[in-house]
Amino acid sequence: MNIGGYTGKILRVDLSEGTVSIEELEQAFIEKWVGGVGFGAKYLYDEVSPGVEWSDPENRHIWATGPLAGSGVYGAGTFCVVTKGPMTNFAGSSQANGYFGAYLKFSGFDGIVFQGKAASPVYVVIKDGKAEIRSAQKLAGKDVWETEDVIRSELNVGKRDVSVYAIGPAGENKVLYAPIIGDRGHVASKNGVGAVMGSKNLKAVVAYRGKRSFEIRDPKTLKEKNDELFEIAKVSGPIYQWGSGGGFSAVYGIGALPVRNYTTNIYPEHERMNGQYMRTHYEIRPKPCYRCRMAHVKEVTVTEGPYKGLSAEEPEYELLAAFGPQIGNTELGGVVMLSNEVDRLGIDCNEAGWVIGWTMECYEKGVFSRDDLDGLDLTWGNVEAAKALLNKIARREGIGDLLAEGVMRASRKVGGEAADWAIHTMKGCTPRGHDHRGRWPELFDTCVSNTSTLESNWGPVTPQLVGLPPFDPFSHEEVSTFNGKFNGIRQFDDCLGTCRYASPDPKLVVQCVNAVTGWNMSLEDAFTVGLRVVNQLRMFNLAHGMETKNERPSKRYGSIPVDGPTKGRNIMEKWGGMLENYYGLLGWDKATGIPFPETLKKLGLENLIKD
Amino acid sequence: MNRVTIELWLWLGRRLEGDFESPSAMRSLREEVVEEGTTVRDLLGSLANRFKAIEQEVFDIQGQRLREGLVGIYSERVTGDDEFYRKILRDGDKVVILPVYTGG
Repeated sequence: MNIGGYTGKILRVDLSEGTVSIEELEQAFIEKWVGGVGFGAKYLYDEVSPGVEWSDPENRHIWATGPLAGSGVYGAGTFCVVTKGPMTNFAGSSQANGYFGAYLKFSGFDGIVFQGKAASPVYVVIKDGKAEIRSAQKLAGKDVWETEDVIRSELNVGKRDVSVYAIGPAGENKVLYAPIIGDRGHVASKNGVGAVMGSKNLKAVVAYRGKRSFEIRDPKTLKEKNDELFEIAKVSGPIYQWGSGGGFSAVYGIGALPVRNYTTNIYPEHERMNGQYMRTHYEIRPKPCYRCRMAHVKEVTVTEGPYKGLSAEEPEYELLAAFGPQIGNTELGGVVMLSNEVDRLGIDCNEAGWVIGWTMECYEKGVFSRDDLDGLDLTWGNVEAAKALLNKIARREGIGDLLAEGVMRASRKVGGEAADWAIHTMKGCTPRGHDHRGRWPELFDTCVSNTSTLESNWGPVTPQLVGLPPFDPFSHEEVSTFNGKFNGIRQFDDCLGTCRYASPDPKLVVQCVNAVTGWNMSLEDAFTVGLRVVNQLRMFNLAHGMETKNERPSKRYGSIPVDGPTKGRNIMEKWGGMLENYYGLLGWDKATGIPFPETLKKLGLENLIKD
Repeated sequence: MNRVTIELWLWLGRRLEGDFESPSAMRSLREEVVEEGTTVRDLLGSLANRFKAIEQEVFDIQGQRLREGLVGIYSERVTGDDEFYRKILRDGDKVVILPVYTGG
C-alpha cells in the first residue's frame, strides 16, 4: 500500500461466533473513503440491509479512525462510531476523543467491525495486531468508571497503557440514548451507539498503547502545519483559555441557551455558570487528550456551595447547558455532580437534559403527579431529584422505563399537550445543548442531517474559512444556502481521526492530511469526500424508510421564542422553502430529497443508482 | 441627542476601568450621548477612537467592522451583520458585544 498514515487493516469481530479476523484494506477504498465516518458509512450501507433493526445481531457497529490519528497532529486520538441507531432507526455517527483512535492504530488497526451478538457479556482486547474476546460477566451492572478500573486491574496495566471505552448500566439496559464512554469522560454520544453495544452484549473495548507504526510521508511539513493549526486554535474563541464553557454566556447573549425546556430565554445566572467562573473559582487540573496542546478539558474540584469538595471532570458546555438552565438549575456544583453521574451511568447528557426538562415541565403543569414520578419532587432546579431520576432511567426502574425511551417516544406515550412540549427532530434524535431557535443553521442541520446529529456545520459558523460570504443568521434562504454550500467539509473532518477543536482551519487540515498520506488533496477534494459520505448515509437512510416528513423539528423545537434576543423569530414560516433550496443545492430532488443519479455519479457512487 | 448604552461581555473590566462601569468580571458598560442619525457603526468607531482597548479588542477602525470572533446585539435582538451596523440609534437603545460562541 502506497499511502502514509494507515495500518491498512480492519479487525472484524463476530460476537455470535466468538471469532476475530483481519481484513486488508485496498488502497482504492482508502482513497475513496479516507477513514472514520467514511469507512463507517461504506460498511454500514454494504452490510446492513433494509429491515435490519438497530438491536438485531445483523446490525453492524463500526469503529474507525483516520489518517491523522496518532500522527502527531495534536489531539488526534479520535475515532468515529457508525451504526444503525435506536433513536432514529437510521444511521448514526458519533466521534469520541481521548486516546483510543491513536492506540487502535498503534495496535495495528484502522478500524473494527463488530457484528452478531454474544451469548453473554464480553469485552474485547486489542494488542499487537491481535484481538481477544473475554468474558465480561464480572463487569455486568458496573458503571463506566468501575468497568475501566476492573479491566485495568485484570490486565495489570497503568493509566495510559490502554484506552478503555465501555457502556454503563444504561447501555446494558438498552436505554435508547446510551453512549460509549472512555478515557474517563470522553463520549461517543449520539443515536444510542451504546445501546447498540448493549444489544450485542459487548460491554467494553480495550486498545493497548501498542508499538505498531505507520509511515508519515512528510514529517517536516506536518510539524509546520500542525504548529500553524495550534496558533489559530489558540485564538479561535475562548476554548483554549476557558474550555467549551467559555462560550456559555455568549450563547445566552444570542438567545441560544436552552432555558427550562424552551419555555423562556431568560437566565440571568449565566455568569455564575460559565467556563470563566468555573476556572477562576474551582480548583483546576489539566486532563489532555492524546498529545493535545489545547487540553481544553480539565478536572475540577468544587470549592463552594453544597457540592464543595467534589472532584470530577470539568463539565463541558453541553453539560453546563443540560444540567444548568435546561433543568432550571442555577448551582454550578450541581452541574458537576450530575455530569459525573451521567458519565458513570453511561447516559447521553444532551438527551438527559431534554428528558429531565420535559419531565419537570410536565410535573409543573400537572401532567405528572409526584406518585407518577415514584415520589421524586422534580421541580425545576432540583438536582438531587434529577440524579435519582437518572439512576432510574439507567436501570429502567419505575418512571425510568418510560423515560429510557427518549423524549420523543416518552412524550408520544403520554400524549395530549405534553407531546407538544418535547424537543426533538421528527427523525427521533434530539439537538445538542442549545436553544437552536437562536441558531438557525444548527437547527436546520440537526433536522436534515443523515448522521442523527450535525452534518453540515457545528457551533462556530465560519463561512469565511472556505471562501463563502457572511450571511444573515435569520434569513431562511441564506441559512439554507449556507448549509447547502458548506456541507461536506465537516464530514471530511470526521474521516480523519482528529478533534474539531484541533482543526479550526480546513485548508491547513487538508495540508496535514497530505503531509501524512503523501496525497495531493485540495480543499475541493476534501469537500467531495465529505459529500460522498453525506450521500452514502442519505441513501442508507432512504433505503431504511426515511422520508422528507422526518426532516422537521417537533412543535416545541421549531416554536417561536416568547422572550429574549430572538423573540418572535419564526423558522417554520418558510421551512418548505428552506428544504427545497437545500435539497437543490446538494443535487437532490427538491420534493423528495432523493439524490439525483448524476449527483451520485459525480461522487463515484454509481453503484447506488437504482434502475 | 439620544442616550444609549454600550455593553461589552468581553472580560475587559480592568483595561476599561474608570471609563466603563464593571458590574461583573465579564461585563463593562457605559452610557453615551449621541446625535440624531448616529448608527451602530458610528458609535463603535467613536468608541474605538477614544479607548485603546476597544480599538484593539473590539472594533477594527480600518475595516469598520467588529474584530474577528465577535457578534453584536442591538436592543436585545440578534440581527445579521449589515443590518446591525446600519441601525440608527434611538434614545434608550442598548448595544451589546459578545464573543462568537464556539464549541460545545
